[in-house]
Amino acid sequence: MAQVPILHQGDIMIVSIQSALTDSDMLELQGRILEELVRFGATGVIIDVSVLDVLDSFATRTLCHIASAVQLRGAKTVVVGIQPEVALSMVLLGLTLNDVESALDLDAGLDILWRRAARAGA
Amino acid sequence: MQVLDQATTCHGVASDADVVRARQQGRSLATRLGFGRPDQALIATAISELARNIVNYAKRGEIEISEIRRDNRTGVLVVARDQGPGIDDIQAAMTDGFSTGDSLGLGLPGTKRIVDEFDIQSAPGQGVTVRFVKWVL
Amino acid sequence: MEQTTSSSIDDLGSQDQSIMARLAWCAIEKADLERVRELAPFAEDIADMVIERFYEHVLSFDHAAAMFANEGIIERVKAGQRRYFLELTSGRCDEQYVQNRVRIGEIHERSGIGPDLYIGAYDYYLHQLGRLLLERQSDNPRHAFELYLSLQKMAHFDMALALETYVNARERTIEAQQREISELPTPVLQLKEGLLLIPVVGTLDSYRARALTIELLDAIKSLRAKVLVLDITGVSAVDSAVANHLLQTMTAARLMGAHSIVTGISVSVAQALVKIGVGGDVLNTFGDLQRGIEQAEKLLAGTI
Repeated sequence: MAQVPILHQGDIMIVSIQSALTDSDMLELQGRILEELVRFGATGVIIDVSVLDVLDSFATRTLCHIASAVQLRGAKTVVVGIQPEVALSMVLLGLTLNDVESALDLDAGLDILWRRAARAGA
Repeated sequence: MQVLDQATTCHGVASDADVVRARQQGRSLATRLGFGRPDQALIATAISELARNIVNYAKRGEIEISEIRRDNRTGVLVVARDQGPGIDDIQAAMTDGFSTGDSLGLGLPGTKRIVDEFDIQSAPGQGVTVRFVKWVL
Repeated sequence: MEQTTSSSIDDLGSQDQSIMARLAWCAIEKADLERVRELAPFAEDIADMVIERFYEHVLSFDHAAAMFANEGIIERVKAGQRRYFLELTSGRCDEQYVQNRVRIGEIHERSGIGPDLYIGAYDYYLHQLGRLLLERQSDNPRHAFELYLSLQKMAHFDMALALETYVNARERTIEAQQREISELPTPVLQLKEGLLLIPVVGTLDSYRARALTIELLDAIKSLRAKVLVLDITGVSAVDSAVANHLLQTMTAARLMGAHSIVTGISVSVAQALVKIGVGGDVLNTFGDLQRGIEQAEKLLAGTI
């Protein structure tokens, strides 16, 4: 399976999921995100899940783990692009992205991270 | 994957790639049967949970996805079977917050909530069979 | 037409027994039926004249005249009315008779002819007939009075039937209208960029709540909304099921990056929502939409 592209925009990493991920793919992605976070010293991570039609318990948990680990390095994660029916399924199944911020799309996510950076800088 | 008849598919599940395949098959049947988008996502997610349980706890098993009709209703029937170690305490497994330690639970109570009919059979050493039905509205 | 008539009969209870019970209640006995039958030829005689006078009377009132737009209608109605009034003196009181009276109630409800017009019409006919009867039987006023009393009993029997069916038909119309209203799709209004107002109206059963949620989430996506104001003033019953639907909707919206404010709730409903986990800070409990929108705008300003 092709690797999930990770782009860097200034201090921000953009993880752009392109297709359905198996559990192992997700674990692998988790590792890569943390590795690149450290290597590039990013302050924010955007994970774009707009292509995913299912966010089950494993995916949800992994996103939470990623966000925790990212936070330990002083950076912030924003999950973007959760589709309407995926959001509803998650809620009905009781899956939550507890302390992970989520936004509508890439622009909204970048906005959140820039404002955070601006506040931190000031 | 075996196609048993036009509307029934049976998937061997032994790897996490199989988990993805099974749920995609489920979603595509759901779409064909006329389920709305939210229900399509719910069915796919439920299949994902059951298939993952098979891979994680029993190493291998199968998921059968078929169309079901009763009275005037159409729906999808999913049966997830394995011959693994089975569940000791079904009641506990069906309670929210159940955990086996190395993972955060089997996702069963959540699955039960989102489907119309749900049943689970298991005994230690005798594998697990979970069956659910969801009707088109 | 047949169907509505028989359902009205069912409303009035099982057929024969109900008719016997009504007759007993109206103190109508065999003697009364005989007396009205005695009036039959007289009624036949004067029917056309009385009905003519009645319509002159009616057409002199604007609101009633408006009902009778053209000659064709007037002639048809007069003919119908002649039949109706002559049946009054037929001395019959069977199922067929009752069904005809019931049908009148339904026709009136459908045509918007209220009880006042119906009773007024009946009264007019009765007093015209009473006066003419007295003139005709001036040699035996006592007997004329007995005849008239029996006739009056029959008239009231009729009126009770017609009025009951009128009321039942009214209630069914109102129920149907309420159902229609509650099934209207909920509008999603964009107050400004990023801010949506959703006035939820009617009963919120699982089916409707689910449809509303998905519609809302789709709107968040297509309109790029950041703040939602959910006004539930118009929701008829906020029980725990509704509260849960609301919470689910708000949580799903949050996953899509949108914050929610709920307005139009009483303090007790707000408490119930907080108990099931809806954050107190997003609840505007003043039942005041204006303040809810202000709060929403503040939130929106904070997010852009």
